[in-house]
Amino acid sequence: MSVQQPSTVEPLAALPAQTGAAPLPEWTALGPVLALVAAGLLLLLWDTVFPNRRTNTELSVIAAVGSLAALALSGWYLAAGTGRPATGGAITLFAEAITIDGLALFFTAIVASVTTLVVVASRDYLTDHETPGEFYSLVVLAAAGMALLASASSLATIFVALEMVSLPSYALVAYLKENRGSVEAGLKYFLVGAVSSAIFVFGISLVYAATGSLLLSDVAAAFGDLGDLAGVAGVGVVMMIAGFAFKTASVPVHFWAPEVYEGAPAPVSAFLSSASKAAGFAVAFRVFTEAFHLGGEVTAVGIDWALVFAVLAVVTMTLGNFAAAVQTEVKRMLAYSSIGHAGYALIGLAAISAGGSHNGAVMGASMAHLFVYGFMNTGAFLFIAMVERWGVGRTFEDYAGLGTVAPMASVAMTVFMFSLAGLPPFGGFFSKYFLFAGAVFNGFWWLAAVGALNSVLSLYYYSRVVKAIWIEDPTDALAAVDSRPTALYGAVIVAAVATVVVLPGFGPVIETAEAAATALFG
Amino acid sequence: MVDAFAYVPAIVALPFVSFLVALAFGKYLPKGGAFGGIAATAGSFLLSLWVLATVAAGGQHVETLYTWVSTDGIAGGIGPQEIELTFGVLIDPLSALMLVIVTLIAMLVHVFSLGYMNDEGEPDLPRYYAGLGLFTASMLGFVVADNLLMAFMFFELVGLCSYLLIGFHFREPGPPSAAKKAFLVTRFGDYFFLVGVVAVFATFGTASFAGSESFPVLAEHALAGEFDAWTPFGLEAGTWFTAVGLLVLGGAIGKSAQFPLHTWLPDAMEGPTPVSALIHAATMVAAGVYLVARMYGFYVLTPTTMAIIAFVGGFTALFAATMGLVKDELKQVLAYSTISQYGYMMLALGAGGYVAAVFHLMTHAFFKALLFLGAGAVIIAMHHEENMWEMGGLKEKLPVTYWTFLAGSLALAGIFPFAGFWSKDEILYEALVHGLNEPLLLGAWAMGLLAVPVTAFYTFRMVFLTFHGEPRTDVARDPHPVRWNVKGPLTVLGVLAVVAGTVNMVPVQKVLGIEGIDLLHLWLDGHYGGFSELTSHHYAELGPYSSGYIAGGEVPTVLIGAGVSLALALGGLGLAWKLYNVAEPAEHTAALGGVKTVLYNNYYQDELQVRLAGVTAGVASAADTFDQGVIDGVVNGVSSVSLVSGDRIRRVQTGVVTHYAALLTLGVTGLILVLGVLGGWFL
Amino acid sequence: MSDWIAIGALAVVGIGIPLGMMGVSALLRPSVPEQGKRTIYESGEVPTGSAHIRFNIQYYMVALLFLVFDIETVLLFPWVVIYRPALNAGVPMARLLLPMLAFVGILTVGLVWAWRNGAVEWMSSPRAMRRKTERNQP
Repeated sequence: MSVQQPSTVEPLAALPAQTGAAPLPEWTALGPVLALVAAGLLLLLWDTVFPNRRTNTELSVIAAVGSLAALALSGWYLAAGTGRPATGGAITLFAEAITIDGLALFFTAIVASVTTLVVVASRDYLTDHETPGEFYSLVVLAAAGMALLASASSLATIFVALEMVSLPSYALVAYLKENRGSVEAGLKYFLVGAVSSAIFVFGISLVYAATGSLLLSDVAAAFGDLGDLAGVAGVGVVMMIAGFAFKTASVPVHFWAPEVYEGAPAPVSAFLSSASKAAGFAVAFRVFTEAFHLGGEVTAVGIDWALVFAVLAVVTMTLGNFAAAVQTEVKRMLAYSSIGHAGYALIGLAAISAGGSHNGAVMGASMAHLFVYGFMNTGAFLFIAMVERWGVGRTFEDYAGLGTVAPMASVAMTVFMFSLAGLPPFGGFFSKYFLFAGAVFNGFWWLAAVGALNSVLSLYYYSRVVKAIWIEDPTDALAAVDSRPTALYGAVIVAAVATVVVLPGFGPVIETAEAAATALFG
Repeated sequence: MVDAFAYVPAIVALPFVSFLVALAFGKYLPKGGAFGGIAATAGSFLLSLWVLATVAAGGQHVETLYTWVSTDGIAGGIGPQEIELTFGVLIDPLSALMLVIVTLIAMLVHVFSLGYMNDEGEPDLPRYYAGLGLFTASMLGFVVADNLLMAFMFFELVGLCSYLLIGFHFREPGPPSAAKKAFLVTRFGDYFFLVGVVAVFATFGTASFAGSESFPVLAEHALAGEFDAWTPFGLEAGTWFTAVGLLVLGGAIGKSAQFPLHTWLPDAMEGPTPVSALIHAATMVAAGVYLVARMYGFYVLTPTTMAIIAFVGGFTALFAATMGLVKDELKQVLAYSTISQYGYMMLALGAGGYVAAVFHLMTHAFFKALLFLGAGAVIIAMHHEENMWEMGGLKEKLPVTYWTFLAGSLALAGIFPFAGFWSKDEILYEALVHGLNEPLLLGAWAMGLLAVPVTAFYTFRMVFLTFHGEPRTDVARDPHPVRWNVKGPLTVLGVLAVVAGTVNMVPVQKVLGIEGIDLLHLWLDGHYGGFSELTSHHYAELGPYSSGYIAGGEVPTVLIGAGVSLALALGGLGLAWKLYNVAEPAEHTAALGGVKTVLYNNYYQDELQVRLAGVTAGVASAADTFDQGVIDGVVNGVSSVSLVSGDRIRRVQTGVVTHYAALLTLGVTGLILVLGVLGGWFL
Repeated sequence: MSDWIAIGALAVVGIGIPLGMMGVSALLRPSVPEQGKRTIYESGEVPTGSAHIRFNIQYYMVALLFLVFDIETVLLFPWVVIYRPALNAGVPMARLLLPMLAFVGILTVGLVWAWRNGAVEWMSSPRAMRRKTERNQP
């Protein structure tokens, strides 16, 4: 490994360069991550300076400003083409430990938008808590870890970033200290997470043993000819798949997901099931395309990884959807549906064939699906957060007639449900459509068919929620609906609007995603 | 001169605006937003007439309005070629005609609703009118769609609106479940449609209906070997096109309530009657047939698909007609007649009778809307009683309703010279002449012909039980009067049901040799305006059929065909007359004398009914068993399998974290072992 | 033949030898159960109470804070070692000093926050405080 001397003074054309103005220095490519880190530290400082004041609103505002800044920066870079082939290719920092390209920026944008929604909604969710400082800082720092995870291009950075996401997540899940469910979920998440991390880091060590490097580009070069070490590398890769499966809640490491999403505070469930999952996919996309020759010729390892992912995708989506169909509690149903959606997103890794003409398209469609999913799933969990705040029960029956007392939010929830099921004209339809179409064009029609069948099944349990909200008669429990939490309401509505606005705006999203994914295969 | 085509988007937008207005301000508007809906549909109707006139003057129009996804400039975009997903409008003779039909019916239904909903004091009127507006807008959007994906999206919207409207009275137990059934059954078909849309994109890289780059034209070239279409597993282009055609047909079968996906339609009678009129005459059910007609250039290329369409159509026509024989409720009879009549249209399409199908679609729209609105008027008069045995003798009390209903019934039964006669006769004629060289088609024709007397019989059984004889209940003796807003639409449609047949008097032309009275043929053949690849003679050239004649020539075939079907229809009518057009056994009829005859007749009637019921009950109960056992069985089977396996998964999820850790480790170990063996890592 | 067979053989032998020794001794030895043999071996001390007791959460807090300093030291040592040679080699001081300052600064923010929020205060639980004040009341 040669120690590179990244120059901070020499401007590069790869960064957004307005005509006339000097291009930004290279380290600014890390701007979104830095914005999140700065917001996290500022939150801690604020809480240090005013530890006993009820600072909920101020903290929420700081967190929201930080995540919005990250969103704006990543959006700006995406629009300006930072890190794309057109502007000089990916920007690497810290001796290639970090790569900023279209993929990193796209997923940073997803994470930042989900974080914004979650911290805004948390203002009302945490209104009765005395010291919410750590909550916001943990969320924002975990988001920084996710953004870093999307940009990491060395196995060491990846592991550190993964832990940077996991450790705050454990604490966040157990945040409601008085609530047995929350604490139990936190412990389970921690234990399963520790096992997965151990497997993951073991996998990294085996890959390192076989290739002699932690940098993805070096690993890729070494994978061309592994000799006797093919088996070692292969076992290492499978163990790394387990690590990614933990982050994305896919089979075989999905067991934690239902209980954790159910027990955790609803905004945290939204955060984990949308942002954390997206970040997991980001790093899996990068590692498998850049290091393990996914979409290239089958290497010395002798296994077509796409086939492995195809099997995992089918099992994951089927298991998630079938289990969701029999749930009685809405939050748990959403948890299983989140597993199902991990299965759909896995198609982005599965429907890849060597030299396939649509590899970029299908992976890009998967990224776009995660983008849309970020909004619709976060929105759905935030709606549940609102219901939890009102103290209406958790089952489908308890949701009966919510449409009569909270029509706006119920319309939003209806949008989320139909979009999750993939009904036109909502965002979820388009992303799923492109995903399945891409899979078909790449020759994986059977994968698309299984996905479509699963979508049919999913309509059953999503429409149960809609039916409960609108069709069934209200119960006495609705008397508890006494308040209109402004920020929570706002976040839900914004998520719904985003899910619908994707309809005309889907062109730029899918184009950006496909361009970013195509660059990985380039 | 301002171009009429510039206003085509407005035709779709006007009802949509009325939907928004009714939704947002309906509470504050008089009549719950009804006038806005009437004004909007009337505006659309006038614009449609203008468009029709422009097409008649030699115009045609296809335009892309909005491109929402374009893969230009991205390496390896979606599809074999670069694909654009667009919204656009296509105006040709077919869509212009359909626009007029849909807007006219929608306008009349809005007016009628004033009498049916407002005067009856129904609650939630804004929701009702909003639903009607959105329903109309979706259907119009579907009609003008210039590509399959856009058509699919509006098709889905139509389905959604039907769900909302059928379930309008959602506080009662029946309507929500009927709405759900309609939604789910049609969606079952739509999933095939969706896969079909993807397949069309994958195969041709485009889904537009018109133009030299449209997918029917490309399919034609592909079969001629001039275009290299993508097919999976190296299938023959023809085989693959058949599969794609059948997939899209799934959507049409669901929406047009063809066997075996017809089960939702009778249940959908739970919706308000004007909605039934709209669904059956001009919107939802018509959408399926219209879809097949729209992409007819694709279907005619594959003989297998054509044969399946024809056979399904003929079978549905007969099957639904037999079920209509034994129904007691007015709207139920009409529901089965709708299924049966759309079966005729499918039969026509499958038999190569493109013009005949569109013709019947048009006449049926008029007379079925008329019959439903007439039934609505009867229901108003009877204080929402729908059982025909509770009616009788309404002829004198409701003259306008009676005469218009009678005109509609004569049209439905196919009696000369009413509209239905001309269109149904042409369908049977096309099926016959093409069927003489095609045994399968001949079977479909035979079923279609058999359905004729059955149709006439149940239609007039309905008429006689409702309007003739003596009133059987107090309500029937003193019915509630209906107002102008009911009579007006009935009159308009009644006139149309009588005269609409004159636009296409092919038999007269063929027999008497008068040229130029087959207006609809000329119209759909691009004689006035239109695209050359969307004309009926182009379809006929592509089609797999050749004509054969009986009794030595075209004229005798026409005469014999018309004569036989008219005779059969009259036979059915006569039987109904004999059995049902009698005074009811009331206390004073016995005293009037001729007691024995009356008793005998009564006895005879009951006896025959039992016998008839016995005959049809076999068919009907077989059909019922099929519905309950096979169709529902499959649906229930699928869901229970998924629920049971879902339950298994839930049991694995024990909640004990050590189990999870163990399963996780075992899972990863298993994965390593399987992959290691496959990859040969351990050797 | 592959190297894996050697590993497998080693595993078999590694498990087999202790199992075999235990098995042989179980067969050979006389069985004389008595109380003294069953007690926990505590270097000759007689054990009192159970080992399964709950430790005060404060111990963990201190241990966690200790980790902050621990990691800091681990990174500071190599940094100090290369600091002078790098400076002499012409690397600008900002590039050498600023990253470590940022690192220490971030850790300090965390430490200060934890301190301020009572992580190092012994017995700050409100219930304990209440009990204490109640006891002081006459």
